[in-house]
Amino acid sequence: MSAASPVMHPESESLGRGERIAVNFYVVSGLVVFVLMMLLGLVMRMAQGTWLDVGPVLFYQIMTAHGAGMVGAASIAASAVMWFFLRKYVRLRLAPFVANLVLFVLGAVAILAATFIGQYAGAWTFLYPLPVHSMGLWSTDAAALFMLGYLLIGVGFLLFYLDAMLAVVRRYGNLGRALGLQWLFGGEVDRAHPPAVVAATMVIITNSLGILAGAVVLVMCLINAYFPSVALNALLAKNLIYFFGHVFINETIYMSVIAVYELLPRFTGRPWSVSRPFLWGWAASTVMVLIVYPHHLLMDYVMPHWMLVMGQVISYASGLPVFVVTAYGALTNIHRSGIRWDMPARLVILSMFGWAAGIVPAILDGMISVNKVMHNTQWVPGHFHFYLLLGVLPMILAFMYHLSGSRSGARESAGDRVAFFVYLAGGLGFVLAFLAAGHASVPRRFAVHLPEWMPYDRAGSVGAMLLIVTMLVFTARIVAGLLKAPGDGAAAHAVR
Amino acid sequence: MIIRGQWHGALAGAGLLAVLLAPPVRHALEASMTAQMLVQIPLLAVAGVLLSRSLPGRLIAAIEPWNRHGLSTLVLAMFASAFWMLPRALDAAATETLVAAAKYASLPLLVGLPLAIAWPRMGFIVKGVFLLECLATLFRLGWLYLASPERLCNSYLLDDQQLLGRCLLVLGTALTLAIAGRLLWGRFDVTSAPCN
Repeated sequence: MSAASPVMHPESESLGRGERIAVNFYVVSGLVVFVLMMLLGLVMRMAQGTWLDVGPVLFYQIMTAHGAGMVGAASIAASAVMWFFLRKYVRLRLAPFVANLVLFVLGAVAILAATFIGQYAGAWTFLYPLPVHSMGLWSTDAAALFMLGYLLIGVGFLLFYLDAMLAVVRRYGNLGRALGLQWLFGGEVDRAHPPAVVAATMVIITNSLGILAGAVVLVMCLINAYFPSVALNALLAKNLIYFFGHVFINETIYMSVIAVYELLPRFTGRPWSVSRPFLWGWAASTVMVLIVYPHHLLMDYVMPHWMLVMGQVISYASGLPVFVVTAYGALTNIHRSGIRWDMPARLVILSMFGWAAGIVPAILDGMISVNKVMHNTQWVPGHFHFYLLLGVLPMILAFMYHLSGSRSGARESAGDRVAFFVYLAGGLGFVLAFLAAGHASVPRRFAVHLPEWMPYDRAGSVGAMLLIVTMLVFTARIVAGLLKAPGDGAAAHAVR
Repeated sequence: MIIRGQWHGALAGAGLLAVLLAPPVRHALEASMTAQMLVQIPLLAVAGVLLSRSLPGRLIAAIEPWNRHGLSTLVLAMFASAFWMLPRALDAAATETLVAAAKYASLPLLVGLPLAIAWPRMGFIVKGVFLLECLATLFRLGWLYLASPERLCNSYLLDDQQLLGRCLLVLGTALTLAIAGRLLWGRFDVTSAPCN
């Protein structure tokens, strides 16, 4: 690395005492929920493979908690990534960041209570009218508590985004300038404009709209739960749910990718500058992430035809602009750079692979002709686990390793390296078992499997076991680093 | 034209209220659910906003300690406005004199006026949450009016109710686009605005 290479732990990343505690809580909460939800996932795969005896009622409760918990854990951890790096460029405050975490915890408690005490098992998608047609398995109150949990989490994220919006508008005048729209068609692009600001602005815009849709449909479902005479239009409810759900889970990628822009240059010694194609990529994805959601409804023949066509066409392109500018940027950043292969760098490169490889089966499923036969198979959990497990989670872990390593000053150990490769092997085994099962038409969301399907379930279980073991190693290493006295490591994490 | 000064505010508010109370105007606006919800009720609140300009500064200062960031007056305005979203309340206002009087008094004094006091004291985040909830309420009410297979108000017909539902959805969409457009391309003076 040259003398002018980016500093590994710049002073601008230093944390005050309150900030350090808040970030620690975010990281630990995220890791704990990830591990717990992975354990629930393992229980499901083992139950399908008859290695564990889990009744169908409990299976669907676990499936509901797993889905909601994973989306929540990914979102809360990704928001820590965004907050940590965005505050270098704009003035973010601690209170909304803490409020987000508190509301998240309250929401998570409500969701877990609804599923494991109230026995709600209507899946994380709470598709109308399933929550209120439980066939006696759960009460209306349990379904309402589950939706109330979502509302609490949504309010927390809204506060977080509004604070970020205020900070961005104060610094750049409006969101368009922060997104770099003024340079799309001409003018000299300010190469120093931070990619983190561009990504965060896109997230602020799109997820605020997603939360608005969620706020509408959740309250309408609650009204329906207690006033059943107010029957909802099921198709409209499904559209709003998937608009909200699609945007919310996609934003975990766009918040986490900030770690790639911020960390990779520190290992390659080359800055990551914005360019016109980069800005076009983010601007295009801002629009497309909002209009691509009909690809979740390709099997709903009553959807307007044009929306289904749009869902398919935009599926080809939705994730690509940001992915292409990020992956291409990463490759050019790495090429002949003499990159330092520490854990954050390894995890960032893994995330590029997981994101790239994971969107291929996703795009395939977004094609109407494929979707008709694949959508209700394990192909679907195969693709989303691919880019979440091997794309988003490594980005988040890279951030956590960076944070933890900076505080402890420790370099990676042989154990880290082994855990990394076991994570990769376990992750690939896990997702390929899903994809292969989907290819063999094994249905998804079935508690009980035929004997012919069980080899896939068992292979997936082994992959999940490896993943959980490595996640425990990662968690132990990261938490141990975070618990080091501030100031032990780099100045970035000393108490101001 | 922007009217300045306490007396101008009081006169404008009272004048608007008088126009809205005039029998031909009142009957015209209450003849349809859509006109009542989208024209009469908002204008009554606007009358309250105008009246707020006539409030003496001492009174505002006196309630300031109980109205941090405008939250108390905001909550008052939200509860009062929520009552007038109930179809039953609209029905009663159309047929019962006392309820009608309550509507004409409460919308300016318990919605418009407190909201006008709250707004400049509200920080960006409070305003953001308030606006998002307003938008969500427009969509929810629009959806409810469209989804209901029966008349929710005895005084109004089903087609009027459904027209109102559609109008609320259009209004919600237009406001969402307007706010998004302002945030994307507008100019903001938030350097001096309170944060919360």
